[in-house]
Amino acid sequence: MATGSVEIVYRGVFQKTLAKNICRGIVFAARKQGKVGIAFSRYSDSPERNGIPAKQFAVVADTDEEMEEYLSRYEPDSNDVTIVADDTLCKGIESWAWNGLQPVNRMLKAGGTLLVTSTRSANSLIRDIHRKGEPFNLAVVKGRASFSGMWVYRDDHTDMRLLGALAKVAPHIVTLDSIVAAINEPKKNDLKAASAKQAYDLVASTTVGANQGNDTVPFRFDLPGWRKMEECLVVGARKVKQEVPGWDGGYVPGRNPTYKKFTTRTLRPVINFDTCTKCTICWMQCPDTAFDITPDGYYDANMEACCGCGICEAVCPVANCVTMVNEEAFTDNQSQWRMWAKDKKTYAAWRVERISLPAVRSHGFQHLGQYAEEIANERR
Amino acid sequence: MQEAKEQASARDFTSPQVLEPWTGIKKVAHEEYYTSGHRTCQGCESAQMMRLLAKAAGPRTIVVGATGCMYVANTTYYSTPWVLPWMHTQLGSAGSAATGTAAGLRALMRKGKMDKEPINVIAVCGDGGGADMGLSAISAALQHTQYNLLVMLYDNESYANTDIQISGSSPYGVNTSFSPPGKLHRIMHKHWKKNTAPMLAVGHPDCRYVATVVASNAVDTLNKVRRALSIGGPTFLHSLNPCPKGWDYDPKYSQQIGELAVETGIWPLYEIEDRKLKMYGKSQHIASGVVKRKPVSEYLLRQGRFAHFTQEDIARVQARTDEMWEKWFLPGVIALSGA
Repeated sequence: MATGSVEIVYRGVFQKTLAKNICRGIVFAARKQGKVGIAFSRYSDSPERNGIPAKQFAVVADTDEEMEEYLSRYEPDSNDVTIVADDTLCKGIESWAWNGLQPVNRMLKAGGTLLVTSTRSANSLIRDIHRKGEPFNLAVVKGRASFSGMWVYRDDHTDMRLLGALAKVAPHIVTLDSIVAAINEPKKNDLKAASAKQAYDLVASTTVGANQGNDTVPFRFDLPGWRKMEECLVVGARKVKQEVPGWDGGYVPGRNPTYKKFTTRTLRPVINFDTCTKCTICWMQCPDTAFDITPDGYYDANMEACCGCGICEAVCPVANCVTMVNEEAFTDNQSQWRMWAKDKKTYAAWRVERISLPAVRSHGFQHLGQYAEEIANERR
Repeated sequence: MQEAKEQASARDFTSPQVLEPWTGIKKVAHEEYYTSGHRTCQGCESAQMMRLLAKAAGPRTIVVGATGCMYVANTTYYSTPWVLPWMHTQLGSAGSAATGTAAGLRALMRKGKMDKEPINVIAVCGDGGGADMGLSAISAALQHTQYNLLVMLYDNESYANTDIQISGSSPYGVNTSFSPPGKLHRIMHKHWKKNTAPMLAVGHPDCRYVATVVASNAVDTLNKVRRALSIGGPTFLHSLNPCPKGWDYDPKYSQQIGELAVETGIWPLYEIEDRKLKMYGKSQHIASGVVKRKPVSEYLLRQGRFAHFTQEDIARVQARTDEMWEKWFLPGVIALSGA
């Protein structure tokens, strides 16, 4: 007699199909075991937007009555397993305005397992994951975050591997046999079953102690109730300009303070101010108004506002002036221009070190046949 | 202060603001009136279009927005990236809201309840709100020639906010939630994209300015907005906004996809001022024969929404695009040809 719940934290749209496949696998596997299962996505994440963190849930119960009882809550808030489909989500997630930065393990129950897809080691991930009062387990499924888009799915078996690993870390929810049985239905697929079994064998779990990990305090806001809102629900406008100390002669737009959007980022632009020609195109083409105009006329990508789309890199006419670097290479949101203005040599060394790290990410569809090519290369 | 007020009241508030064009990218104002902190997709060109629109219009502007991505993503629970006053209006009523706002402002100024000054009124609507549901309201707005207002249609070729359903602006053969390609029927959407801007230009002879824009061509877009607001009377802009979510492409290519739409001839850039048609940007080079159109496959094959296309489908789109430029009465604009 028990209920088990799994939460999947993923990148909106890019991993929507992936998360759906995992949920479906869990529910079908539960039914193979004679249990009841249900899957749903978090209503407040809809409509999903590219890259913005979203959640889906799969709940498994022994009986209908237990399931009904469990579902009489707004959303599963204490999960046995939290599957993190992209390791950059470990830095925290901000899905909507006023949500603040929510630790990725916030909805994980004590002793539960955080199951992360990553090429990084568990120790390196603990650096990013916010500390929790109770101990929990961290399990890593080795692999790149699998991103595709709305219509074309990147079928690289990440969904199957996560299902296999889930059977290992939470056998009380689903077993490997039931997962394999679910994968083989309606059509037998030995390759997919093999991927699940392999992940089951390979997944390693470590215990993260109480208060171990990232000790920064996540930013949060007090959500205004309707009594505190202005008449007619008028929302105060943003200021046209922010006054920033040490920024005289430059321009910083007045940004929305309650939604920062930077947890959407999986790649960040690193800028070579030495070769920048101040052509303005990155600033002009940025849909998120992320570029601050510096006092000396450069364009500094503000890391609180940048969501990492990569348009600046694509439109920059100077070779290697803007380079998108995997977000895992950074631990803060400091201004690159300030670093450069303070000490150009140190900045140059820092920049070279950062851009030497391969981005190893693709943000969805670029051309026909691309996913098949990439998967073939990864196998090799 | 008193003097400034008298000057303001002396100004003819029924005339539009005079917004001179910016002569180059470095002359563009730094000030942002639509800023960071909107819950849009990475690489959202509709958000970029809002940003350009607000920047071009300047501080003395009121924006009303019909339901769509630019409503839902920009107003998540009591927060907003707008610096300008913005108000939501229902899906089909962008045109009526613009007319009402312009008329209301004028009445308040006439009665002395507000300082007399020209204020820009802009209504924004998506292709669902503008080209489908709100078309009649926009048509009515364009007939009210006594008011100065701009209707901006931001077109991402689907109902993108509700996860990509077909709209009247969806292109031929596209994959959407309502037209998934199947084994028996590969092409589920067989209509050609609605030609909204020329329809409104031809149908409303008193409308002084209609133009098509694309955010990838930023300076021209800014100046078209400034022209539309300065010329007086109701005006209309139709912008093509590549949508990384619904068109299914890597968000870093947003600007390039917009450029390709123009370079392949699929999205002609033109302005119609006082019933005179003028192509501009790369479309002008295409129309005058200086530059050849790129093959449409370069545009189509970069997007997952056309991933099911065969050579035959691509050839069909190419043929229709060729026809548009070679056979149409006004190449790229009016879908009529001589007998």
